[in-house]
Amino acid sequence: MICFDQVRFRYRRDPVLRGLTFEGRRGEALGLFGANGAGKTTALRLCMALMHPEEGSVTVDSRSTAGLGPEDMVDLVGYLFQRPDDQLIRTTVREELAYGAERQGWAPERIAAAVAGALEECQLAGVAETHPYDLAMPKRRLVALASILVTDPKVLLLDEPTALLDRTGRALVAAIVRTRVAAGGTVIAVTHDPAFAIEALDRGVALEMGQVMQEGSPEELLRSGVAGLELPPAVVAAQRAGLTSKSLRMVDLASALARHRS
Amino acid sequence: MSAIEFSRVSFRYPTSGPVLRDVTFEAPAGRVTWIFGPAGAGASTLLLAAAGLAPGLTGGSLEGSVRILGQDPGSRSGRGAVQGKVAYVTATPYLQLSGMAESVFDEVAFAPANIGWDRARIEAAVPEALARLGIGHLADRIPEELSGGEQQRVVLAAMFVLRPDVWLLDEPTSALDGTGRELVRAFVRAEAERGCVVLFATEDAELGLALADEMVLLDEGSTVARGIPADLLGTELMWAMRAGSTGVGELARAANRLAGERAAHLAPPYPLTVEAAVERWR
Repeated sequence: MICFDQVRFRYRRDPVLRGLTFEGRRGEALGLFGANGAGKTTALRLCMALMHPEEGSVTVDSRSTAGLGPEDMVDLVGYLFQRPDDQLIRTTVREELAYGAERQGWAPERIAAAVAGALEECQLAGVAETHPYDLAMPKRRLVALASILVTDPKVLLLDEPTALLDRTGRALVAAIVRTRVAAGGTVIAVTHDPAFAIEALDRGVALEMGQVMQEGSPEELLRSGVAGLELPPAVVAAQRAGLTSKSLRMVDLASALARHRS
Repeated sequence: MSAIEFSRVSFRYPTSGPVLRDVTFEAPAGRVTWIFGPAGAGASTLLLAAAGLAPGLTGGSLEGSVRILGQDPGSRSGRGAVQGKVAYVTATPYLQLSGMAESVFDEVAFAPANIGWDRARIEAAVPEALARLGIGHLADRIPEELSGGEQQRVVLAAMFVLRPDVWLLDEPTSALDGTGRELVRAFVRAEAERGCVVLFATEDAELGLALADEMVLLDEGSTVARGIPADLLGTELMWAMRAGSTGVGELARAANRLAGERAAHLAPPYPLTVEAAVERWR
């Protein structure tokens, strides 16, 4: 669905991506891991055609980004920026959510229904008429997330989607990712949140100096200490206590622990 | 006198209902105090009030008394008296870059130059501040072109260079990778040991547990509990207040709810760390 082939890119002097090659598959949530400055956010920007490779190619759903701009990608790709303020432009949450669908020429009834669905899914119905900037930063991130869900794009690019969120918000974002993946969508998430990686992601690539250094399950990557991250303490505790569970997700660990010694 | 004192503080933004309600607590020098609560509990607003920015910058109205180093940060004279002594880092540090500096070195030199330090003093102090935050290698880079996590450390360095007495930190590790998180954790601890008062907000209970001497638990703007994080985080109160606990605590509680009363070894207080959990569950 998303294919980076030998992508090279630099902002000014220093190369940021140096021959980056990876793919994100249909029905998969892929994590991009790496230290600060490894090129993760840059890779997302290239997927959205906000910028273009100096060499190599980026294709999304067989569409090469060469010669295209973000306006050519919006029907296909939703992008949650690392800074929600960079993508909130309207004066109420409801209008903000409608913006993308309006730009794509949807009929008003269809927009209203899709916006209501996204408000519900992101637990924002209570603030629909509030100005996004009157909301605290964590809520603003959920507004930005909801705004890209409205048109149900095939691809979601999420840059640190759980940063600043509380426990409830983090669980909500993980559930949204799993719903999209189950419906055949592709999610690419940049994250430094090990618990989110275990809950929401299927596979990961680790970037270092703009190249893929390692590829594997989130568990394998975290176990190897990618970007200084570690397995979530709950997973480590469960494994050291000798629990055997269906997966490393919290719900499966909890049921294994409840059965353990009983 | 404690370094930070809130006495019966209530606050509302221009367009909101009460966000802080009758909050009283103090944060002493040399200690790390953690403001914790679910999203919307008022932790960020409390830091804004401590910095004198709510209502000064945000608008709204504040009742009660806020004192920082004995001064009212909301008054002109109080602000003058604590200038350069209070470091406030928001959850969105990229908004705190000066926008005037063409290199990370210049960004960190910006405040010292503004208050009239001579060149030799600046040239000695800036590299030291960069080294403390592990960003010496970024000295020549353009601040706006750095990643979010790198900018977070640049902003910390730009404040550390003045050796503040007070740190007000809102989600200080939100954009950091694992290595950066460790570094900032050690940095904050060392600042408390230097004698600073540290007041910080985070939703990361592992960070709070590792860093804080005391927790102030907020719910809908009210202080509902104060105590040692390790004592509070294992209790059901944390869940009743929707704040939650560490990942290990969350797993322990989820299992306890599934197992019910037949599993005494899963009953609260819940373990919070890997070591404590393995001890109880094995």
